[in-house]
Amino acid sequence: MPLYRIQHVTSYRHEAPAASAWQTLRLRPRDEPGQTVLDFDLELVPRIHDLAARRDAFGNHLHVFSVRESHLEFHVAASSLVRREAPARPGRTRVTLAEAPVSTKASILSGDFTLEQFRHPTLHVPALPEVKEITSKLDPSLDLVAALEALGDIFARDFVFDATATDVGTPLAEVIRDHRGVCQDFAHLYLACARRLGLAAAYVSGYLRTEPPPGQPPLVGADAMHAWVSVHVPGHGWLDYDPTNHCFAGDDHLVVARGRDYGDVSPIRGIFNGGGGHALSLGVTVSPVDACVLG
Amino acid sequence: MPHDRAEKPSRQPKTCLGTLISTRPSMPPASSPTSPSLPGYAGLSGRHDEAVAPDGTLRPVWARFFQTLGPDPVAALRAAGEQARRSVIEQDISLNIYSGEGSSAAAWPLDAVPLLLEDADWTSLSDGLRQRARLFNTLLKDLYGPQRHLRSGAIPAALAMANPHYLRACADLGRGRQPFLHLYAADVGRSPDGRWWVLQDRLDVPSGLGYALQNRLIVRHALADSFRTTPVRRLYNFARDLRSSLDRLHDRSESPRLVLLSPGPANESYFEHTYLARHLGCPLVEGGDLTVRDRQVFLRTVGGLRPVDVVLRRVDSDFCDPLELDPRSLLGVPGLVDAAQAGRVALANQLGARALESPALLAFLGPLCRSVLGEELRLPNAATWWGGQPEARDYILANLPALVLKPAFAGRQARYAGTLSEKERQALADEILDQPGAWCGQERVLLGTTPAWHHPSDNLRPAPFVMRVYLAWHDGDYQVMPGGLTRFNADGEDAGVSLQSGSVSKDTWIVGSGSQGEGPLPNPPSSASSRRGSATPSRLADSLYWLGRYLERTARLSAHLEKLDPLLRDENVSLDPEAAADAARLSLELQDNFPAAGAPLPDLVALARRDAYDRRRPASLVSNLLRLSRNLEVAKVRLPPEAWDIARRLRALGAEGAQILPAALRAQLATLESIVGDTLAHDTGWRFLEIGRRLERANQLLFLLRGLLARPGAAAPGEFRLQTALHFADSLFTYRAVFPGTFHPADVLAWLVSDAENPRSLRFQAERLGEHLASLPCELAPRAAEQLRNTAFRLLGAARLAESEALDNVPASVARFTTEQLALTSHLHDRLARLYFAHGDVEPGE
Repeated sequence: MPLYRIQHVTSYRHEAPAASAWQTLRLRPRDEPGQTVLDFDLELVPRIHDLAARRDAFGNHLHVFSVRESHLEFHVAASSLVRREAPARPGRTRVTLAEAPVSTKASILSGDFTLEQFRHPTLHVPALPEVKEITSKLDPSLDLVAALEALGDIFARDFVFDATATDVGTPLAEVIRDHRGVCQDFAHLYLACARRLGLAAAYVSGYLRTEPPPGQPPLVGADAMHAWVSVHVPGHGWLDYDPTNHCFAGDDHLVVARGRDYGDVSPIRGIFNGGGGHALSLGVTVSPVDACVLG
Repeated sequence: MPHDRAEKPSRQPKTCLGTLISTRPSMPPASSPTSPSLPGYAGLSGRHDEAVAPDGTLRPVWARFFQTLGPDPVAALRAAGEQARRSVIEQDISLNIYSGEGSSAAAWPLDAVPLLLEDADWTSLSDGLRQRARLFNTLLKDLYGPQRHLRSGAIPAALAMANPHYLRACADLGRGRQPFLHLYAADVGRSPDGRWWVLQDRLDVPSGLGYALQNRLIVRHALADSFRTTPVRRLYNFARDLRSSLDRLHDRSESPRLVLLSPGPANESYFEHTYLARHLGCPLVEGGDLTVRDRQVFLRTVGGLRPVDVVLRRVDSDFCDPLELDPRSLLGVPGLVDAAQAGRVALANQLGARALESPALLAFLGPLCRSVLGEELRLPNAATWWGGQPEARDYILANLPALVLKPAFAGRQARYAGTLSEKERQALADEILDQPGAWCGQERVLLGTTPAWHHPSDNLRPAPFVMRVYLAWHDGDYQVMPGGLTRFNADGEDAGVSLQSGSVSKDTWIVGSGSQGEGPLPNPPSSASSRRGSATPSRLADSLYWLGRYLERTARLSAHLEKLDPLLRDENVSLDPEAAADAARLSLELQDNFPAAGAPLPDLVALARRDAYDRRRPASLVSNLLRLSRNLEVAKVRLPPEAWDIARRLRALGAEGAQILPAALRAQLATLESIVGDTLAHDTGWRFLEIGRRLERANQLLFLLRGLLARPGAAAPGEFRLQTALHFADSLFTYRAVFPGTFHPADVLAWLVSDAENPRSLRFQAERLGEHLASLPCELAPRAAEQLRNTAFRLLGAARLAESEALDNVPASVARFTTEQLALTSHLHDRLARLYFAHGDVEPGE
């Protein structure tokens, strides 16, 4: 069971001093089956006097605070120690892609009503006609897990990871048109396909380990926050898939937050009083920790 | 009494009321031989009418009402309509003030003919609405709490989970002990069989309550005799209890601090926000007035941050917090959701209530009522089908032409498929098929009618109406306001009665069986806030200060223009033509126009006059007048009703633009000045207004000295120039009384600058400034306050010491003096603004 130390540093630099600010953070990794947070620490500069912690509607950890002094720069350093097991992966589910929507609805009616929110278009994942062209390539008689992989194959074949192609505000239609994007775009597009297919599918934000294990190539998105998706597989539960890296999530995918799209999980959101524009810089390192060292 | 079921649409011709009354045994005997009649009025086919029963007879409560109107009820109602219209205009009751630069408000549309309802009829409606309020409150607490009804499927999951108005940031806000729904309103209408139907539930920001209270005050006045002799139930108790029920939303043992959060003057019902804040005696604030620290809401006041316990919210939930809700909102308060989550602030209504305004919910309300309250739903709503259920979707598609199609959530327009072409209908069907869960089908309700004044025919006509009824949480249950805001469309159509699209409002009278209504008359709203609300919000202080400045500046400019004309006819001008030209030039310079030297006096005067009405010149008279009006609008909440009438007149003058008579303007301004001086409480807010006036008056005097007595290179001023300076400074009359017959430069300057008894002198202004500044709060930043007072003291010192010796060498010394003092007043303004108006947080000790 690998143990990871995550360091995530974010810095704002304003054009002019900001008189005050209000911020929300979603930086503390989730406690969930297969993942345990052993330690979490936040360091904020300037110093904060009213840091409050809550859970949001998706069960993510949320921190809220205000900055009361005039400041040109603002730093957030989050440090976590996380134990992660490789998630269980169903071999075959006995649910075909064609049957999945009905089974999903049955799960909703039998009490898991929150699945419903992962079936509908959202701000960042609108219903687009172009999506149908992608999903129509899938064989409806495929087993659901195989279908999710097949959809990943289409992404690997038709879409290119390009760190410069998009930014946070790039609409999904543009990603489809240009066939390129970053992990966030891959995740949103995969969600659009999955929801079009009648599945309940969630957006996941998190981290990958920075240096690959010896002898393996590094994963894409390891030097920043990463994004992937989670699909509800009836009879099994949530299954995380990483369309950017063309694989199911493993024990090196560390989950911070889950939501309907990026808007639900954005790691830092702020309102500034003054300050003009600002430049944002961030650094992420995720390193395995030898459990013996910790004693 | 239960209304007769409508049988066949009756077409009773013109009837004489007297005979009808005598045929109704339930009526009191019609004693007067000149019984009122209602000729030419008949109900509409197939609809229930409030006044006339299907057999053509007047219903008892209406018959009694028409009797109170005297021998000619139609004439009496015509007169009442006139009276009501005058009241609306005088009290400046408006919709949508200042939606843009200089745009004017629409007068509040009010029909003086009230809607009359029998007590018994009202009681059963009230019971039904109370049940509905309880039901919605319970459902909201569950939706933002344990979510049992979603889990059980009693509410389909998609109605919350796919609903953009279900605010996830507000999850758990329903778990508190307090009601989720403090104020609830329902739009109800009468169906053809005489039953009340609920057309729409208002849960998030139920608006119109202030207008309903205001309507009562106006109609009670316009129909004074009828109101007195009819046992109309009073609104007083409800209005009085509103404040205490808001206070009780917070657990705080001492008196909780309440504010009314408004989107601001650009909002269409800002008038109502002003009205309610005055009625409740609480500060009227905008998002920028509030700030959150330590999960506590604070009001920014000139004395620093003051905690806020309860927020009466007139801003839509989605816009209340850019941090956790819609990030594009400029109307909200960052951190408000978190403060609510921490239980540190009570919101009325709690955030997120709009989620259950979806018409789709109506399809499930009956069973929900049974399971939640264990009762049958008492009031029907229009039959509704939600497309998210396959059978309902098929029903909608099969019955499309008969239904009104409404969006389940938002973002689409409601449509009546019956009026669509075959092609449009098919397109709509395709749209529904593509996203069935986004649509509801609703049966069309034929609204009942009530008599309304019809201007084209100058008589009463039946108008389909909707009535909005208000309920407020009080002592563990909902209290119904015995009245409401009734609306009808002036053109008689009943599709979508809304005040934005030209409908007209009415007062609503619930008529008891007793001889008198219960309770005392409602008091007119008090003009001053209660004492605990007297911590002046920074933004209000800012507006009051600028109100003072623009009031003085506009008054000076119009006085100058008024005095220019006589100069053209004054033969003494030939003694010193340059002095008169300088006076005209001063009026131009004050409007940022600097004409070339040597222009003849008549040209200068004509130019000054033309500039005055030029809206494109930011310093023109009319531009200053518009700014004055705008600040008056914000400060209105602190001013008595007489000032509102002035506000309206000034706005009208500003809008006319073309030719304002300076004398007419000056009369309005003088009235406003006297209201400000004599009727306002001399509290902190008033001091800011006075500081604005004094500072502006000092500035204007310095400009005058510079323009008339300090022209570079001029010789010592002659008698005519000195007289002109005194005249333009409104000090000639008083000067003559003190210095009879002589005009020496030193005397004139002493009178204008250093004399303590001339209320127009610089010293007089400086003394008042010093007094006001000494009374302002200073705990927040003692050093900055000290510096501010020192600046005022230096101005006073300069004015006092300016006596003769310093100003002997006119005009060069006057030039130097005015430059120095203008620098001081400008300094004073900067320090004042930084200390008290800077809307950013000021840290103590700065």
